[in-house]
Amino acid sequence: MILPILAELSGSIHVGLAAMGVGIGIGLTGLGMTSAVGRNPGAFTQVLVHGILAIALTEAIVFYALYLVH
Amino acid sequence: MRNRCLLMSILALASSAMFATSTFAAEAGTTGHEGVSLKPQMLVQFGGFGITNSMLVTWIVAAGIIILSQIATRRVQAIPSGIQNFWEWLVEGVHNFLENIIGRDLVAKGFWFFATIFIFILFVNWFGLIPGIGTVGWGHYDATGNFHVDRPLLRGGNADLNMTTAMSAIFFVMWFVWAIQANGVGGFLKHLFGPKGETSGIVKILMIVIFFAVGWLEVISILFRPIALSFRLFGNIYAGESILEAMSTMVPWLSPVLPIPFYFLEVLVGFVQALVFMLLTAVFTMLIAEHQEGPEHAH
Repeated sequence: MILPILAELSGSIHVGLAAMGVGIGIGLTGLGMTSAVGRNPGAFTQVLVHGILAIALTEAIVFYALYLVH
Repeated sequence: MRNRCLLMSILALASSAMFATSTFAAEAGTTGHEGVSLKPQMLVQFGGFGITNSMLVTWIVAAGIIILSQIATRRVQAIPSGIQNFWEWLVEGVHNFLENIIGRDLVAKGFWFFATIFIFILFVNWFGLIPGIGTVGWGHYDATGNFHVDRPLLRGGNADLNMTTAMSAIFFVMWFVWAIQANGVGGFLKHLFGPKGETSGIVKILMIVIFFAVGWLEVISILFRPIALSFRLFGNIYAGESILEAMSTMVPWLSPVLPIPFYFLEVLVGFVQALVFMLLTAVFTMLIAEHQEGPEHAH
């Protein structure tokens, strides 16, 4: 049942899947950042810097999928 | 056919707003509407060179920023008011924010770049949200007598991949220059490939091999930075334009109301993307140029 459906799949599925995973990952990063700032509001700047870096590294995965996988 | 419907529903369930909007856009496309085009359109063309509508917006915003800041600093007063007050608030706010993050030395060195990037991207993003941009231009009437704009006169400047790629390419060159200035060529290579941490003996040799391999991964990740920077900004702004377009054509009788919440979302996204572009460039510079002997060396 599932195999014919999979056989009909076409297009940039890998990019869609990567985008889905990256979305989950960035959401988790945001969860961690907000809860960290909620526990320790004084650490906002440090949390922001590391969070932004983590988001950038996570986001890069979708570009790897976009360019490196064909 | 039934399989295809099932597949569509599985995909729609599995994904969130991104997929949902793209299917709506696809439905709108089947009814004769093309949505926002991926490329900017030529307005005037001479030979291989031309002026596109997003270039026009970029120039208008740049000229506006230059003229406003000239007016603001023409008669500088000790107690600022009006437009001088606004620019001082903006520039000082960005300066203090960056100083907290990347430190006094790097701010003194790179503030011109980071602040320019932030202010320019912010104003280009918000300028592109003014009603009429992307909807006024040359077009055609379709079979049912509805007018479609093919060649808008103005288009959001960052909804053009050329603009964002240019900015991130300039950042990449500046990043390299700052990295070499801070570390020297040998220090730069050591920063990339050298072993980190305190080890000795046979572990030290293993660590050298491991960190040499890790260095190549780091080089790949560094080479992807300008691509990621440009696509992030372009993707956000272009998706914003597309979602506003889709929302205003999806349900005809709701078209005056439906885009309004998304419009305010786009105002927020425009600010956040300008902030993220500035912060990422600043943090990337800090990571390569930070002093090794600093007391808060946390990486």
